[in-house]
Amino acid sequence: MDVSDEGLVRRFRGYALDHDNAAHFRGRLDRRLLLNRCGDCGQWRHPPRPICPGCLSPNVTPTAVAGDGTIHLAIFLHQGPPADGVDYAKPYPVVTVELDEQPGLRFTSTVIGAPKEAITIGRRVSLDWIERAGAPLPVFRLNDGSDR
Amino acid sequence: MISARNPMKDKVAIAGAATTGFTPHNTDRSPASYAAEACIRVMRDCGLKPSDINGLCGSALPAATAQAMLGIPEVTWFGNPSIPFASGIAAAASAVHSGLADVVLAYHTPYRLPWNTANSLKDPFRRPQLQGVAGPPETMFGPIGYTAWASRYMHAYGVPKEHFGYVALNGRANAALNPAAAMRAPLTMDAYLSARMIRWPLNLLDMDVPVDGADAFVITTPERARDLKLPPVLIQAAVLGMIDRNEEDQTPSLAEHGQRVVVDALKAKSDFWIDGADLYFPYDGFSFITLSWLEAVGYCGRGEAGAFLAANRDEASGRVLINGRVPMNPHGGALSEGGTQGSGHFREAVHQLQGIAGARQAPGARTALVTTGGMFFNAQGVTLRRA
Repeated sequence: MDVSDEGLVRRFRGYALDHDNAAHFRGRLDRRLLLNRCGDCGQWRHPPRPICPGCLSPNVTPTAVAGDGTIHLAIFLHQGPPADGVDYAKPYPVVTVELDEQPGLRFTSTVIGAPKEAITIGRRVSLDWIERAGAPLPVFRLNDGSDR
Repeated sequence: MISARNPMKDKVAIAGAATTGFTPHNTDRSPASYAAEACIRVMRDCGLKPSDINGLCGSALPAATAQAMLGIPEVTWFGNPSIPFASGIAAAASAVHSGLADVVLAYHTPYRLPWNTANSLKDPFRRPQLQGVAGPPETMFGPIGYTAWASRYMHAYGVPKEHFGYVALNGRANAALNPAAAMRAPLTMDAYLSARMIRWPLNLLDMDVPVDGADAFVITTPERARDLKLPPVLIQAAVLGMIDRNEEDQTPSLAEHGQRVVVDALKAKSDFWIDGADLYFPYDGFSFITLSWLEAVGYCGRGEAGAFLAANRDEASGRVLINGRVPMNPHGGALSEGGTQGSGHFREAVHQLQGIAGARQAPGARTALVTTGGMFFNAQGVTLRRA
């Protein structure tokens, strides 16, 4: 999305934005989850860095992922930082999802629309989007497909 | 790349260690005040005066401030290494071995601040660090990463929460014998299991106690240490281990992270390992870290640390004695002595090897394995032996 650096920082207050992850956050404004992929060796890596750690190429491109994956880590916050729409009276799920694009490529967010008991390591999830404080937030939703 | 090269082996000594003791409440004292007390105490214990010191390092309090405060006339090397405290031990040892300094005063001041306890905000002088807007909750960054991998551990091995509790109960049983400890009231498994949940699966008693206080050490050559008042403790090897995927949520697995590097390198650089260690000091900033270290150093297989502790603990007291012989964090660890970011583990190791650990003294202890830090970007290990 065509937004200035100043504007981007204003839209994502509370996040540590820098030159290396700005494209990722611009992608969020278009509801696209952009992770860095190397144009030379094809390796995905997150969080964003200025070069590819696999081949040291600077030719890394923020590239959209489909957002399907498997829950790898799952915790529930009984307390935490204040955030719009988050009430810790009900334990708040935070999950790290291993994305189908590449083994070991993971993205961390929450799971919406599911009871606590259903949010377990190994469950399949898909990407979804919600709005928080005026900016889109990538989240996950349990996928009806089989566990793996 | 792991290397066995270790020209520093047994060539640097810890001549003394001292503490202020720790308080689990906001006190009306500054970090500088605690650092001063611990530094003065360790200099006196060693028979040194400020003009005998020519190297200075510590955490939190800038070295320049510490030098000005303690009236150390000249230093030829100083630094403020990161935490946990093996970074300070390693930096000071390197400085002594290389000749950058001869007698280093190394200090650490655990202090209650917003990053480790929200209650610190009741003290207006502790507030300035908290600026701007709170970050989002959807992160595994920092301490949360240990909770995240504890969830994976429970999933992978199907272990009950009691396995984490054995770590907390050992710490509390040992702290009962340590006058410096912040938390000394007896702890039962029932009380552990019903503690307030903070981030499932870890509760309040799985997390170290934020404290005010300080530890300080004198690090010098073995020759110089022999002339001082206390028996020297030699630094055999030190490793600060890390792998490239060191972000909390990108860490490859429960077995592949900084601890694996520490173990491979420290084993290669040391003359003894767990069979030859008389004392074991695994980090316990979170109970889960101790389970992970026990498995990483090889006391037991992956997923077996809880069962290992169950088989090596006294049911009545909760105290762990590995193979009936090796105490684990005899000072109470971060969970009960206080969250010292490892300085307490090193201070107790030094006192045990000097034979001055009082009611906690392990008879005839000559070697210690200290594995401080967590998994991602601060796994560390040091082997120590009595000269």
